Amino acid sequence: MIRNYFKIAFRNLWKNKGYSALNIFGLAIGITCASLIFLWVEDEVNFDNFIKDQDQVYYLPTNQQYEGEWRTFYSTPSPLAKDLKDQIPGITKAARTWSENLLFSVGANSINKRGRYADPDFLEIFELSFIEGNAAEALEAPNSIVLTQKTAAQLFGKDEKILGKSLRVNDSDTFKITGVVKNLPENASFEFEWLIPFEKYAAGVEWMKDYQSNFADTFVKLSPEANFKAVDEQVRAIIPTKTDQAGTYAFLHSVKDWHLRSEFKDGKIVGGQIIYVRLFTIIAIIILLIACINFMNLSTARSEKRANEVGVRKALGSGKNRLIFQFLAEALITASLATIVSVILLTILLPQFNILVEKDLDLGLYKLTHLFLLMGITLVCGIFAGLYPAFYLSSFNPVDVLKGARKTQGGASFIRKGLVIAQFTVSIVFIISTIIVYQQIQHIKGRDLGYSRENLIKMPVNGDMIKNFDPMRQDLIATGMIENVALNNSEILSGGNNGSGLEWQGGTNTEDVLISFRYGSSQFIETAGMEFLEGRGFSENISKDSTNVLISESFAKLMGDGSALGKMVTRGGKTYTVIGVVKDYLYGDIYGTSDPVLFFNDPDYGNFMYVRIKSGIAYNQVLQNMEGILKKYNPAFPFEYEFVDDAFNARFKSEQLVGTLSQVFALLAIIISCLGLFGLAAYTAEQRRKEIGVRKVLGASVNNIVRLLSNDFIKLVGIAIVLAVPLAWWTMHNWLQGFAYRININFWVFVIAGLAAIAIALITVSFQAIKAAITNPVKSLRTE
Amino acid sequence: MITIKDLEKYYSTDEVRTIALNKLSFKINKGEFVAIMGPSGCGKSTLLNILGLLDDPDGGSFIFNDVEVSGYNERKRANIRKHNIGFVFQSFNLIDELTVFENVELPLIYTGVKSAERKQRVEEVLEKMQIMHRRKHFPQQLSGGQQQRVAVARAVVNNPKLILADEPTGNLDSSNGNEVMNLLNELNETGTTIIMVTHSEHDAKYSHRIIRMLDGQVVSENVLV
Repeated sequence: MIRNYFKIAFRNLWKNKGYSALNIFGLAIGITCASLIFLWVEDEVNFDNFIKDQDQVYYLPTNQQYEGEWRTFYSTPSPLAKDLKDQIPGITKAARTWSENLLFSVGANSINKRGRYADPDFLEIFELSFIEGNAAEALEAPNSIVLTQKTAAQLFGKDEKILGKSLRVNDSDTFKITGVVKNLPENASFEFEWLIPFEKYAAGVEWMKDYQSNFADTFVKLSPEANFKAVDEQVRAIIPTKTDQAGTYAFLHSVKDWHLRSEFKDGKIVGGQIIYVRLFTIIAIIILLIACINFMNLSTARSEKRANEVGVRKALGSGKNRLIFQFLAEALITASLATIVSVILLTILLPQFNILVEKDLDLGLYKLTHLFLLMGITLVCGIFAGLYPAFYLSSFNPVDVLKGARKTQGGASFIRKGLVIAQFTVSIVFIISTIIVYQQIQHIKGRDLGYSRENLIKMPVNGDMIKNFDPMRQDLIATGMIENVALNNSEILSGGNNGSGLEWQGGTNTEDVLISFRYGSSQFIETAGMEFLEGRGFSENISKDSTNVLISESFAKLMGDGSALGKMVTRGGKTYTVIGVVKDYLYGDIYGTSDPVLFFNDPDYGNFMYVRIKSGIAYNQVLQNMEGILKKYNPAFPFEYEFVDDAFNARFKSEQLVGTLSQVFALLAIIISCLGLFGLAAYTAEQRRKEIGVRKVLGASVNNIVRLLSNDFIKLVGIAIVLAVPLAWWTMHNWLQGFAYRININFWVFVIAGLAAIAIALITVSFQAIKAAITNPVKSLRTE
Repeated sequence: MITIKDLEKYYSTDEVRTIALNKLSFKINKGEFVAIMGPSGCGKSTLLNILGLLDDPDGGSFIFNDVEVSGYNERKRANIRKHNIGFVFQSFNLIDELTVFENVELPLIYTGVKSAERKQRVEEVLEKMQIMHRRKHFPQQLSGGQQQRVAVARAVVNNPKLILADEPTGNLDSSNGNEVMNLLNELNETGTTIIMVTHSEHDAKYSHRIIRMLDGQVVSENVLV
């Protein structure tokens, strides 16, 4: 019997090649899209799963209270890790780490690599697999270093044994290689290419020994029997106990949440990447749904072709259930063929998708999970898409169909129209979402940051750059291509050092306010293109302004009425005089507002050098000159730079991804819907062949006929527009609420989307309509 | 074999109720060849559908092989149908996607006959209908006469007790029509009961008895000598 079903299914598919192709291709697109999304979701959900003891490993952020609001930071006091391990029995491992970029040199080979200073426990918390060396000894000696396989290969060559060999770090220190570990997978939240003992980083730094500064990332591992709640309570109590302050506490953040749930508000997890995981999963299901609707529609529309067969089979004794099974089997066969086509499409499209999402996803059909997922999708699509047509077709009354009476299409026609409306509603929602996401991204990109990010380069400071800053700066300006050069401790787009406990004139409860600190050379404000609102900048003679500070506009507001110039700020027992007020500039959360800033005239803390290029000069020329000068003053380090506006654009990765994927989904949803519409239009034209012939004989023009056939479908799209607009508005309104800085939704977006949908539907339908309209009526009216 | 008494069938729309069968009563004995005749709209096809258990009467009694079957649900009717009744239609009603062999095999599949036995029985009946040489062809590759022979083969492959033929020669020329009527006659001579709806007086002469209908009622019954 099964063989019988297969035979009939394939012969039916072959007999109706056009409709079969529409069905299979439509389903294939849906399955391909869903599969790509599920691959992405799988990667996201499997972040950090190389750590097997998922219930035991935690990172420790801190919640700090400023002006009544809890804010979450990712660094902890340096002594915390040891105290956790000593004082909380449930914690078996605790490690401090700190991320940094170092230059490694082996012979003439030099590369910059980002890695971590880490306590020995880190190796076990992260369950690192050693290819050379072992976890027990690798981070014991201060000048030991562990490299990843990839970094080892880059420095020493592939497959080289390097245990015990030396390498030079930052052109100043020599380290001995005490271990080589397997590369971390791509989907790891905390990456590193090297590990050096944390003590090397902390050695001699007195302020790291107390609880007043937060310059360590802390990781812990709990014992298997430990009670999370009890341990977390103890963790939360430690910092307040050590500092006698209730306004800061550390808490346990599970490895299971590191990637997906790392957005905090008022000290609590409010979401994070999980929002996009859920969003794209829903979209995958919707796209599959649209594809399945196509199948349902085309199958029921063409049901008359199978009516006779159903009648005969019933007359010969087939029960309804048998027929349902037969049609379901046919649907499953179609879905299976669609899956085969989809695998081909996936093989072709996956590399491009990987570029888009910046991942290295693998179709991996050898993996059982992937195979079962693909089979599962096939099964679900086949059954879901086939169920309604199966029930519909098998319900035909043999009496009616065998005497040649046409099956009334009333009920099915209504459902078909509803399905077309559903498809186009989804497509229009996608179109509207695409436009609004694009607008929001452009809105943010156009936001005034308070400084000029074009023609501004930032470079990491290393080696002799601070020592040689003055002559280097002069040489750079002397090229005639560079306006200004400055040093600063912070990455201009991000946050940086901050703290509280300050006092200032004109302010009350000042200790509770979080202030950001910027240490830099005197040229920083001009180089960055920031604006002075009053006062002056720092003198190039550092000692002249060693007790003076500049403040940002929002800081000045905290100092009460009148000019802030001349007012005093006290920090850490030292008092500074305000000599200038700078217009607020945006850093950190691009969508929000930034904390008040205190600028110090202190280039020695410069971690970044900023170079303002003169406009109108070719970049490659400038960079060539810069490289030459940097090589002269800092020969041991490679020339590295980044344009600030590129770095700014890169911050919108998530939003860009949402925007690009919305475009892709909108396109796919429209393609699938149009495939279905095309098929239905073809079928309608076929059904009304005689009617069209009669109308033409009676004088109807091509235009009349095209309008006749198109009108019904355009009405459906019209209803879809009416349904889509409030749905899209609600969805995008909610999405935009997540941004403090956001656009207003304009009505013309809906108008454009609606017109686009109508135009697309019209183009799709009119091909069939015109074809039917220009057919010679004699052909359709000839008596058989 | 068949006894119907006061059989009624209506077709209703919102405004109109049409009486298709109006308290019809007659008997058909085992082995009889009965022709049902009458003008278009007299209820012949409606009657045939009820006799074939494709439809259910709205009133009256229908006893088939000593069992009252009026009021049976579709599942029960299908069960009786597949084991006892074969159909021959005017427009052949072969399934285009199946070969001749597969079309004839279909009733055996529905009665659960095993593959080897199915093959044997289908080949037997195809030989009998002299269509064995076309067993791998599809219906659209056959002439009208050949298609009807396949339809007859399908109708008899399960050795039904009753064959219902609805205008079996309606779409055939006279030569093919005679061929089909001869086949039906031969089947009847082997003991199969045949009820045939026809407009053709020529075809009716093959029967033992002609029942004439008008407006849903029997107006006459003639036994042929």
